[in-house]
Amino acid sequence: MFGVGSPFSGGNHLKQKKYRGIERKLAIWGFGFNVPSLIFFAIFSFAPIIYAIYMSLYDKRVLSLKTPPFVGLKNYIDIFTNKGIGFINSLKSSAIFSFGAFFPLVIFSLIFSVLLYNNFKPSTQRKFEIMWYTPAVLSSVVATTIWMLIFDPRGLGNQVLNLIMNTPGVDHKWTTNPSMLRFCTIMVYFWKYIGYYIVLFITGLGTIPGTVYEAARIDGASRFQCFTRITLPLLKPTISLVSVLCLIHCLKTFSTQYMFYQSGAPLKPINVISLSIYTTGITNQRIGRACAMSIILFAAMIILSIAQLKLINTDDVDY
Amino acid sequence: MSKEIKTPGYIVYKIFVLVLMVLLVLLTITPLVFMVCASFMTSKQILAIPFSWIPNPVQFSNFYKAVAGTLNTWTFPRNMLNSFIVSIAVTLSTLLLAGMSGYGLAKFRFKGKNFVFITIMSTMMIPFEAIMIPMYMISQKLHLMNSYMGLIIPYLVSAFGIFQMRQYLLTFPGEYLDAARVDGMGELGIFLKLVMPNSAPVLATLAITTFRSQWDNLLWPLLVVQDAKLKTVPLYITSFSEEKHADEGALMAVALLSSLPMLIAFFALSKYFIGGSEVYESRKG
Repeated sequence: MFGVGSPFSGGNHLKQKKYRGIERKLAIWGFGFNVPSLIFFAIFSFAPIIYAIYMSLYDKRVLSLKTPPFVGLKNYIDIFTNKGIGFINSLKSSAIFSFGAFFPLVIFSLIFSVLLYNNFKPSTQRKFEIMWYTPAVLSSVVATTIWMLIFDPRGLGNQVLNLIMNTPGVDHKWTTNPSMLRFCTIMVYFWKYIGYYIVLFITGLGTIPGTVYEAARIDGASRFQCFTRITLPLLKPTISLVSVLCLIHCLKTFSTQYMFYQSGAPLKPINVISLSIYTTGITNQRIGRACAMSIILFAAMIILSIAQLKLINTDDVDY
Repeated sequence: MSKEIKTPGYIVYKIFVLVLMVLLVLLTITPLVFMVCASFMTSKQILAIPFSWIPNPVQFSNFYKAVAGTLNTWTFPRNMLNSFIVSIAVTLSTLLLAGMSGYGLAKFRFKGKNFVFITIMSTMMIPFEAIMIPMYMISQKLHLMNSYMGLIIPYLVSAFGIFQMRQYLLTFPGEYLDAARVDGMGELGIFLKLVMPNSAPVLATLAITTFRSQWDNLLWPLLVVQDAKLKTVPLYITSFSEEKHADEGALMAVALLSSLPMLIAFFALSKYFIGGSEVYESRKG
């Protein structure tokens, strides 16, 4: 770290020895600065995940005092074959929610950010960004509370939809119909995060030099061509990163589904993986089984994270 | 963008874009306005058909009910305080520990540095949802249940925070550090008096991210806290909405009161909320 000309980069033997001493002292400090974090992660990240892997091989139930019997992969086989546990349904609910929220979020935030970026001056952009971003400031619990009231049978949701569709007095069963309930949870997410992802895209758009567009316009490219031939390819790194971030985000959802479930909505359509782990492990005390579910979620997360790392490293654009 | 010729098609396009933008504003803002209006209404008014946006009569008692709770237990102020205590404690420790780690990784050379960095980064792949059951059991063993410590300790530092600090400090001029060393400053002194004060922008962004995620946290407090006095705001809202005779107006008043700190912070410091976008920061690395 010390360049030539730095007071510590001496040449002769005596200085070399002193230099080594300082270098060693600094190495110890450098490592020392990391020790608290490493201890923290050892106890609160690595130990729990190893413990989860270990426990997933045992038939552990908290209430029983005797040491749990070793059952090998039985918990994994159970959650995938026993329909009564409902883990397959959880995987399905998570997949529907994740993709159902992911595609609208990424596509709409991309479209809106490009339109905003290309058509308005920066100060106006800022105003729109702030208005779109405000829902993201609220906590998921508050966001869900507001929307649950809107989706009440007598609430605004029915009234607005009836006004648009000209069907007075119809109850659209927002929270009782399974597909509508799924739509409700997705709606809460879309509302809360659309502004957040637009802001991410705007930042990405800011890295594309304006000269590229000017050159294209001079060559007679249309607005649409500019979008498909310049914006999309040059924005590819941002798009792929935002996509993975959004998928990870959606896969980890808990609060929204938990709130709907607690307010009396049917559990099955919205029993996403994290909610399933919670009910299996905490409510029903089937620790071993819940840990097996956790490991499946962990595996999904590793795959997504590796994809993210690959994207960070290989997809950069040079101008 | 360059000046364009104002053909009718161009004007139609501009109007179309503006309409789209305003429609999205309507979607994002309407539920917020609904929350504010509804917090001044009786449940009857909130669920009236057709809905009228202006509260009549204005129902200030909702806020009394929100703060006092339906059973007059007055736990809400205490729960707000808990949320502040936990969020501030987690934020401070994250700033300090992430600052230390990030500084160590960015500005020092030591054996196994890459390994340490990769080890820390790999914890980002472990979702909290996957380790909540073991964490619950570990916390029971460590007697962290039903305590502030139990709420704070599992979040003392985050890998993302360390990453952000490291990326920022990579560009910190090493000459300053050497000069301070020559002047006889200790390593801790350099970190606390030179590095940290000069990292204000990244610290502000990191502080906001951390504070928000704690303010929003429902899952872990749900597991670790049973005592009503130790509950945080998200838990108060869930238990409030579960109570059978809680009325909707008071519920919206709770929602509004609990969001006010974040909303005020957002409108005052929107630069740090919107400017510090994670993806862009990680791309630059």
